[in-house]
Amino acid sequence: MDILITFFAETLGMSGVWPLSFAYATCIGSLLGFVTVYAMFAIWMERKVAAHIQQRLGPMEVGGWHGWAQSPADALKLLFKEDIIPDGANKWLFWIAPAVVFCGVFAGFIAIPFAAGVQIVDINLGVFFIIAIASIEVVGVIMAGWASNSKYSLFGAVREAAQVVSYELPSATALLAPILVVGSFKLSDFNTYQAEHGWVIFANPFMWIALLIFFIASLAGCKRAPFDLPEAESELVSGFHTEYSGMRFSFFGLEEYVSMFVVSAITATLFLGGYTLPFNLLDVGNLPAPFHLIGVAVLVVKIFAVIFVQMWLRWTLPRMRVDQVMSLGYKYLLPWGLFAVAGTAIWQVWMEG
Amino acid sequence: MGSVREYFSSIANGLGSAAKGMGVTLRHFTSEPHITVQYPRETKPIPPTYRGMHILEQDKCIDCGLCAKACPVDCIEIEAEHHGRVLEWTKFSIDYKKCIFCEFCIPPCPVDCIHMTTEFELATESPDHMVEDMLTWTGMRPQDQAKLEGKTKPKAPAAKPAGGGGGDDLRSRVAAMMAKKKAEKED
Repeated sequence: MDILITFFAETLGMSGVWPLSFAYATCIGSLLGFVTVYAMFAIWMERKVAAHIQQRLGPMEVGGWHGWAQSPADALKLLFKEDIIPDGANKWLFWIAPAVVFCGVFAGFIAIPFAAGVQIVDINLGVFFIIAIASIEVVGVIMAGWASNSKYSLFGAVREAAQVVSYELPSATALLAPILVVGSFKLSDFNTYQAEHGWVIFANPFMWIALLIFFIASLAGCKRAPFDLPEAESELVSGFHTEYSGMRFSFFGLEEYVSMFVVSAITATLFLGGYTLPFNLLDVGNLPAPFHLIGVAVLVVKIFAVIFVQMWLRWTLPRMRVDQVMSLGYKYLLPWGLFAVAGTAIWQVWMEG
Repeated sequence: MGSVREYFSSIANGLGSAAKGMGVTLRHFTSEPHITVQYPRETKPIPPTYRGMHILEQDKCIDCGLCAKACPVDCIEIEAEHHGRVLEWTKFSIDYKKCIFCEFCIPPCPVDCIHMTTEFELATESPDHMVEDMLTWTGMRPQDQAKLEGKTKPKAPAAKPAGGGGGDDLRSRVAAMMAKKKAEKED
């Protein structure tokens, strides 16, 4: 970010608000491009993982090598499809809802530290910024469900609201445990701490519980199976996006995969060492200028490992019932999350004092 | 205490069953071979008793029409002129729009001249191409013509009815299959 601002200010001779504006525009544009390519890859990967788990092959024809061009072809098809707005729909809310959903999740990218210095804004409360901004997505989902003027959509939206609000609690609670260990909410601090002291997951045994709870709660937050109640094809057609078509529909799909990326990035940064290598084999954070970008590759590998586990779990477990989701959230995850936080606090005091 | 035990056992049960299920899916993901057949490039072996397209051994056929009579959907049409024991063929067609591949046309044949092949790729670009001409030649064979020379005036062999674009391709495929079947019989 600072590099970009100095580039625009000094090399191109801009003044006033222009260097900052152009720097933000560059970051957001490149992130949008990255997100689109990533989502296409992730959808292809999901289909491949699903296929191989079911002993199929998945897409094999489009583009030659293992159907790599299937997702771009689908995206092109969705672009050309008609954008239908139902008669009874609230047109304005129906129109704006996919944008709200996508923006809420996309904003999380602002705080993710991809490598040393490769971060748009290093917010003091980075962890909670991502959690808070991601819950704007719920508002968009409720808008979509209500504006569609369809019972299925409304059911899906209400389920989404209940589920996401319930699972915000355990996920935020579980994230308190690594925050206690590192002593900061700043995401870049997690990387520097883990470069020095090793991964947070090995800091104490309670961290495994915290990781498991955050992983389960983040699955629910992304509406991934076994928590895909808001979509629930067999019950609600496809839940809150039943009435959507064309590009607007694809925004909901894009949102799902982007939120998977964001929560996996949080998991990787907070628990699994961020962009640092195991045992800090190579001090990625302090390498000279172009080489610190190795950190991006390390982080992306970790993120895709977590995403693979999410996909693996999706194709293993069946969908849960609404009451099971609620009892899992409130009776199991929340108390055990508090247990992990308390345990970590005691461990920290005991080890230090 | 019962409910406390239930609470903890349900945690163990949930985690254990999820782990077991994930083990099963991982095994399928990594080791088990896929069962998909990449159809146009790969094919599964078709059983020899498969009921596909018909082939006609025209030099054996006696134009008795029993196959057409047996057909429950009337998809077989046969026309031939009889010159004593010599046949002058004009038509033997099977309409694959109607055919239900029941095989009822095969057993009635007194000379065992109609068979079913394993050929099943019947897709064509037009329904007109679905009426398949089973004849390898129309009219009479040259040797039959020579036999009849003097008795009756031989007619010029009638032009083969236009079978449509896809017809020739299927025709040649079936002919190849017939040759293969004959070769197998000789073995």
